[in-house]
Amino acid sequence: MKKGGKMKTMKPLLRSLFIPTMLLLGACGCCEEVVAPPPPPPPAAPVVLPGLGDVFYDFDRSELRADAVDQLKTNANWITANTANSVTIEGHCDERGTSEYNLALGERRANSAKDYIVNLGVAPARLKTVSYGEEKPFALGHTEDAWAQNRRAHFVAE
Amino acid sequence: MIQFFRGFVPGIFVMLFCLVFSPLYLTAAEGQEYIAIRKEGAGNIALVLDKLDARGRKETRFAQSLDATMHDGLDFTKLFSLISPPLNVKDISDRKNVVINFPALTSVGAEVYAGGVVTMKSDMIILDMKVYEAAGSKLLLNKTYTGTEANLRSVGHAFCADLVELLTGKKSVFGSKIVFVSNKTGFKEIYQCDFDGYGVEQLTNSKSISMNPTLSPDGKNLAYIDFTSGRPTLYIKNLNGGRTAAVGKSAVSIDPGWRNNNELAATLSFDGNQEIYLVNSDGTLSRRVTNSKSIDISPTFSPDGSKMAFVSSRNGLPQIFIQDIASGQVKRLTFSGRYNTQPSWSPAGDKIVYTTWEKGGEINIFTINADGSGLLQLTQRCGENKSPSWSPNGDMIVFTSNRQGREKLYVMNSKGGDERVLLQVDGEQTQPSWSLFR
Repeated sequence: MKKGGKMKTMKPLLRSLFIPTMLLLGACGCCEEVVAPPPPPPPAAPVVLPGLGDVFYDFDRSELRADAVDQLKTNANWITANTANSVTIEGHCDERGTSEYNLALGERRANSAKDYIVNLGVAPARLKTVSYGEEKPFALGHTEDAWAQNRRAHFVAE
Repeated sequence: MIQFFRGFVPGIFVMLFCLVFSPLYLTAAEGQEYIAIRKEGAGNIALVLDKLDARGRKETRFAQSLDATMHDGLDFTKLFSLISPPLNVKDISDRKNVVINFPALTSVGAEVYAGGVVTMKSDMIILDMKVYEAAGSKLLLNKTYTGTEANLRSVGHAFCADLVELLTGKKSVFGSKIVFVSNKTGFKEIYQCDFDGYGVEQLTNSKSISMNPTLSPDGKNLAYIDFTSGRPTLYIKNLNGGRTAAVGKSAVSIDPGWRNNNELAATLSFDGNQEIYLVNSDGTLSRRVTNSKSIDISPTFSPDGSKMAFVSSRNGLPQIFIQDIASGQVKRLTFSGRYNTQPSWSPAGDKIVYTTWEKGGEINIFTINADGSGLLQLTQRCGENKSPSWSPNGDMIVFTSNRQGREKLYVMNSKGGDERVLLQVDGEQTQPSWSLFR
């Protein structure tokens, strides 16, 4: 049981290392063949660092699920270690229901995640919350699978 | 004078007469009496809107344009059965003394006849309109409207407004605006259009997310939520070129609703909980209205501002409640449906329109009396129908629907009939709000 839990937390970490690596390799592979102007510098987007992961919620709920707790502990450890960064917790909802209610629900999701991390000892001043409601879905699509991915608190380091 | 007529014409036209010539003396009781008679008449007013007379090329062109504007405008209201004028409707052999053929009008079933003349004085277009009751051949309205070519549409609609108010005793849609959200630029921005979808105009350009627009009753201020600052913030924009006030308190702001020209309400969560606050139109806080640990959103006020309907999850899933502003007393309004949101209080004060998210995934629009009686379903079996908002006179509702795929604006009457698309523009249009002014 315990081992399985650890594997679960390792998976996103491995994935987050694997994908950038592959992207880097892919970019190197083609840079000699294609002569293209350098892409414009991207806007100063906040960087999502490994270690910070999303937590997910049940339909119309802002209470933390059992599976959210391990991720929130990982996030708290990362925030404690990276004192130079402040973190914004974005609350998101799936597309169902009405947008005003989802904006409220999203804030409650962000707050429940923040409260848990503050209880673990992170200074509240380092955490900001915001709600996007249903305005910025992560997964496009109209299936339960997509909806489940969109009911989340998303951690962004700045 | 009124007594003189009372002996000769039916009571209904005495009412009309009063409306035209002595509006100051029209009491609420008289208005209601007239409307009651009208309703018994079962349905639309049979109107002959005659082709406008004009001499000269310019005058004829403006007359044709006004013909179309007035015909389309009156048709939009769905209050009239527009009957083509009979060929022999008038004798114009003597232009100074046009004779209307009232027997011909009654024979085609017309109740009311409207006709007029377009002339010009330098650059001003002058529209002289006369309205008659067909059966009694009595003059009901005789009024001159003037304007330039640039505002020809307003000239035609000013007459339409007078005609509707004359015949129904209620404010019309003419001159009113609808504000809404559209994502056609790739960002959700706020736009407005005329009541009939004409003249779409972009009001915000924040290249962020703008939502939940609503106009103050006098139309001078636009309240909306915008993410430019990185979080959903309540803004109050003076539309006459004045300043835009932001409600500076931190955290999240949700779904404003006006109480009167100087005060609105919105959900603010700066104290850690989502509560509804009264906010002055300059953006300063007045006071907190709700006090519960649950979600409290979407305030909408009775016309006198004494009561507020809103959405709360205090009993679990969202339901609509009514709070008395002075006493703070709250009672639950909706008991049917598990997820009821987006309330809007009717301009007459008797009804609240809202949406129910049904088990099968549909979202439908319902009306309910403010006392909780008279539940009526307005939409069914056509996908998600959201964000209902009343026309200024309460006999139409604008809303969004995805029945054809993407979300578009629709209108229907207050019973759910005469549903139609309001405007066809690119992208998705959401969150319409109809102005109270006109």
